Amino acid sequence: MVSQSELVKEARENGMELLPIDKDTYELFFGPQHMATENYSIILKMDGNRVVKAIANPGFLHRGFEKLAEYRPWYTNIALLLRVCVPEPDVPEVIYSMAVEEILGWEVPDRAQWIRTTVLEMARVSAYLFWTMGMAFKLGVYTAGQWAAAYRERFMALFEQLTGARVYHIYTIPGGVRRDIPSDAWLRRLRDTVEYIKSKLPDFDEILFENYITHRRLEGIGVMDRKFALDEGVTGPNLRATGVPYDVRRVDPYLLYPELDFEVPVLRDGDALARVMVRRFEIEQDLYILEQLLDMGPPSGPYKVEDPRLKNLPRFKVPAGDAFAHVESTKGDFGAYVVSDGKNKPYRLQLRGPSISHGIRVIEQLLVGARIADVPVILVSLDNCPPDIDR
Amino acid sequence: MTDYEALVSTITEKAPYAEGKVRRERRIEFTIPADRIRDFLKLLKDNDFELLLQITAVDWPDRGEIELIYQVFSITHRTHTFVRTAIPRDNSVVPTVMDIYPVAETYERDAHEFFQVVFEGNPKLKMPWILEEEDKEAGLSYRKDFDMLGYVKRKYKILDRFDEDKDTYVI
Repeated sequence: MVSQSELVKEARENGMELLPIDKDTYELFFGPQHMATENYSIILKMDGNRVVKAIANPGFLHRGFEKLAEYRPWYTNIALLLRVCVPEPDVPEVIYSMAVEEILGWEVPDRAQWIRTTVLEMARVSAYLFWTMGMAFKLGVYTAGQWAAAYRERFMALFEQLTGARVYHIYTIPGGVRRDIPSDAWLRRLRDTVEYIKSKLPDFDEILFENYITHRRLEGIGVMDRKFALDEGVTGPNLRATGVPYDVRRVDPYLLYPELDFEVPVLRDGDALARVMVRRFEIEQDLYILEQLLDMGPPSGPYKVEDPRLKNLPRFKVPAGDAFAHVESTKGDFGAYVVSDGKNKPYRLQLRGPSISHGIRVIEQLLVGARIADVPVILVSLDNCPPDIDR
Repeated sequence: MTDYEALVSTITEKAPYAEGKVRRERRIEFTIPADRIRDFLKLLKDNDFELLLQITAVDWPDRGEIELIYQVFSITHRTHTFVRTAIPRDNSVVPTVMDIYPVAETYERDAHEFFQVVFEGNPKLKMPWILEEEDKEAGLSYRKDFDMLGYVKRKYKILDRFDEDKDTYVI
């Protein structure tokens, strides 16, 4: 391709007046204020409008969750950890609770398991709708973006009825959930919402997912192959878009997932379009899972473990030991590793955010050679959650 | 259905220095000496353990060591593996595994910044990562002996007590 200095020279020879540019390449600071980077910055070295080198720079959100958790009693950590991933805050609650329960050797009641599975699937659909909004805005399909935001609002209202909060629910606790389903009307309302969103998917297909412009914008950019993705520790929809059927709900089942019937959508191209389409098929599968759960109905019984230790939460202690629990989030494999030394606070807690693998090294490699206009699209197609990286 | 006992014994036969056990269904664990970490992870990768999920560091001041836990997932065997190794606290150096699992570069940077573990051979350890320079100078660390309250008071200039000699509050 023609280098920038040659372009400048040619322009000058044709009588254009230009500001002096000495070098072929220049640096472009992309983020943290740019909407597409979502709070972490990328320093791009550009040649014309092509990216030559990208350096990701996380840390703008770092609040030291893991260190803070060592200073707080077991139960109050829930209110801290869910702030790690804003679009899908139920996932850190559930993995932390699952790891603590494994150390304690608690069996969670069936009703709590049903509620947790339902909450996780509701969070998945609402996080995918949030992502659809971002993707549609970056592609300029604003109508679809506004629809997605409006439909997500229905899930927010359901969460508010169930947990008392719209975004930060603080609902799952070690041993079960904090309170029971409010009423049968809530279940009917959930079913209505699922059916409503399902009926709206063809509209999304028409103007966003099967749109000719979307396909032309996304096809063949940000390509990664299967071996590269596995080496780089990529998980979730990004890995499934390269042809690996890795879904924690299937390979390491938890909660009620072994009893549920769903498909793991897998595509092979590994480009931005494949990643977008995998997520499109996921929404359908998640709505199907929610339908099955509603058909099954919540089992009767208690919604949390009956244990005398739960009577005095600040003094609640966990025996010495360690455990790892992970679940499938919309970004990928989200895990928590908990170490206890027998006191009323965790000795060490580490969260394994899915974005840490594809948010640093993968982005730095996928952006090389991309045009500047494709940078936001590649970033959103990877679906980063920056707080996962600098948690 | 994977036979977890058989999986552990297959690996420990090839690596006699490793102690293996089955924790529960789909969770196995190996304890190895720190100088064999590269051999062992290479062996795991050759035995279909495809994904390195995380490198966790845990500080144990009373034992005088830092424990490193490499968490590897096998999609083929549907098994999560803990690979445990311990290194001394005052000389926390371990070889890098980024040529075996390239993503380890990121996890090693994380463990280096928060626990001051040095991964020999990782070229990116000196690059700025999450912490600010002033935090690093203060010795902000996830190690257990770090005085977090004192650090917060110094950084945000929280006044601690009234010094009558100097007629002022001191930190």
